[in-house]
Amino acid sequence: MYEFALAGLLPYTGPLPRAIVLTLWLSTLSILLSVAVGVLGALCRTSTSLVLRWIGGAYVEVLRNIPLLVVIYLIFFGLAQVGLRVDGFNSALIALTLNAGAYMTEIFRGGLIAIPRGQYEAARSQGMTAFQLYRYVVFPQVFRIIYAPLGNLMIGIVIGSSLASVIGVEEVTTWMRRAGDETFRYMESFLAVGVIYVVLAQTINIGRIVTGRWLLSRAPIGHRR
Amino acid sequence: MSSQVAAYWYVFLKGVGITLWISWLALILGGAVGLVIGLLRIAPWAAVRWAAIVYIEVFRSVPPLVLFFGCFYGLSYAMKLDLSPFSAATIALTLTASALMAEVVRAGIESVTRGQWEAALSQGMTYPQVFRYVVWPQAIRVMLPPSVGVYISTLKDSSLASIIGYVELTKSGLLVRESTGISFEVLLIIAILYFVINYSISLVGAALERRFKYVH
Amino acid sequence: MSTDPASPVLRIEGLVKRYGPHLVIDGVDLDVTAGQVVVFVGPSGTGKSTLLRCVNGLEDIQGGRILFEGQPVLSRSSAIHAVRRRIGMIFQSFNLYPHLTALQNVTLAPVKVLGEPSKEVEERARGLFRKVRLEHRAHAFPSQLSGGEQQRVAIARALAMNPHLLMFDEPTSALDPETVGDVLAVMEDLAREGRTMLVVTHEIGFARHVGDRMIFMDGGKIVEDRPPEEMIANPENPRTRQFLGSILHH
Repeated sequence: MYEFALAGLLPYTGPLPRAIVLTLWLSTLSILLSVAVGVLGALCRTSTSLVLRWIGGAYVEVLRNIPLLVVIYLIFFGLAQVGLRVDGFNSALIALTLNAGAYMTEIFRGGLIAIPRGQYEAARSQGMTAFQLYRYVVFPQVFRIIYAPLGNLMIGIVIGSSLASVIGVEEVTTWMRRAGDETFRYMESFLAVGVIYVVLAQTINIGRIVTGRWLLSRAPIGHRR
Repeated sequence: MSSQVAAYWYVFLKGVGITLWISWLALILGGAVGLVIGLLRIAPWAAVRWAAIVYIEVFRSVPPLVLFFGCFYGLSYAMKLDLSPFSAATIALTLTASALMAEVVRAGIESVTRGQWEAALSQGMTYPQVFRYVVWPQAIRVMLPPSVGVYISTLKDSSLASIIGYVELTKSGLLVRESTGISFEVLLIIAILYFVINYSISLVGAALERRFKYVH
Repeated sequence: MSTDPASPVLRIEGLVKRYGPHLVIDGVDLDVTAGQVVVFVGPSGTGKSTLLRCVNGLEDIQGGRILFEGQPVLSRSSAIHAVRRRIGMIFQSFNLYPHLTALQNVTLAPVKVLGEPSKEVEERARGLFRKVRLEHRAHAFPSQLSGGEQQRVAIARALAMNPHLLMFDEPTSALDPETVGDVLAVMEDLAREGRTMLVVTHEIGFARHVGDRMIFMDGGKIVEDRPPEEMIANPENPRTRQFLGSILHH
């Protein structure tokens, strides 16, 4: 009979904090970089230039339709063959950024196109500069639209960072595999790591909900028609 | 394409078939489980709603890769279930897909307005009748396009089954890579195959969305 | 249509309805006999619509009781379905089923709820479409109909159940002005047929020409209940006078 014993994992908890930090670091960097990619992508997608729109659209469609794992392999193994050696962490970072950047592009684009033309015209008619227009009129409205999908995508990035384990990055999922392999306490290591991911994801989720409440309390905007 | 890689065309083809099959199976099973969870999610009893929320949030928060490990090694050792990679992968994919589908079901049912419930109730329909004749036919139209999204997402997640040795499309590619020693080309082919499959599915989804919009 | 013309179709005794701490209906008594057309007027938020919804068991009540054809209306009892089948309700926002054609909207409940043969129901439905002057639109979907047309389909849908009481909850408030007349004309026809009707509306003209009784409600209470001509010509209560003054001069 199998005896469930979390204590069996105790000798292996030493590297766990480092692994958690690495997961957080990889996720945070990917979030920041993919926001930058997403802003660029959204500008391309909404640009007046047909070529830019096409490039933006192709980027989104390609990256959304290829599994993240395959992108990671392509960068880690594939590029090495054509002479570009990228280490595990950076391969994962690039792959996550490219992947999440495609979703970011769509989120930002959705936010931008939801702002009616009249808002730009009203702000310009009051003599606002482009910066003022975006800072005081466009961004606050866009943020209300994007914060919820943004939170979901951030959870997606944390989850996606687990794939770095397949190319030897010593993050949380790698720790789970190693602790499991060495103790055969796979169930315990799985549950422990499951809890860690639930805590990370729900922290973001709760942040998203709190942001929503805060926005609502500041200025409730009803369903505009 | 180098002839060395081209010689393995049937391996790729089989990989495509298996990937389509396991993700379809997971979508159906996940859809069935997700329907139940989604209905519980909007049940009139708070305890039931919270149980459903916990289910959804847990399987949305735990990476599918971690679930694959839990199902394959964890269940095998803890329960003495000698799960094949196929069974473990199907369970893991179903769990993830069901959490996504539960939200799709909930959103679909909640998209039907209160007025629809009231109109049907005022005609003397019982709750099951309202659900069957008025709410469900409307909800299913709302649910179809995002279900296609769940299928694509499940299909991409199925690539993770390669990690536990299930020979679907990604694993097929890795095997070809091993026997030929050619990485970039092989992985690019795999990427293109995934793209073609998923992009086609998304086009079908967009067509469905147009088809199921009410006549205007 | 009720067996004994002397006994009221609808009797409401001491009705109280609260939303949390908010008192919406504050002790309403009302008898409606067969064939009466009762028009409810008053400022918005004074419980007129809520009163209709209580009669249909769409709201639970906190005090008093409602008897429909002698049978208590209890929103949570299983007998409520039988009561609702005999009451037709028309909503401000039509609430047509968007996935069904106009004709299917009308036939759905008689076939599925009453279990009548679909051939017969369809026959009857065609007659109803003639009555609401929409026979050419029977196969359109709700989204292809104007507001006025949708509301007339909703009336046909209610009539298809052969109801003993019709309740109209601000039936023309969501309509473009030019389609209001069509809906009111259909309602007038129904009144002339001798149907028992409760109508919440701001259409004072309709109340005057069609109503047998006009009830002014304010603050969850019935303030005045008289024949429309009288009330409009000579409102007794200052609040009634003020309200009628405000809407007649617009």
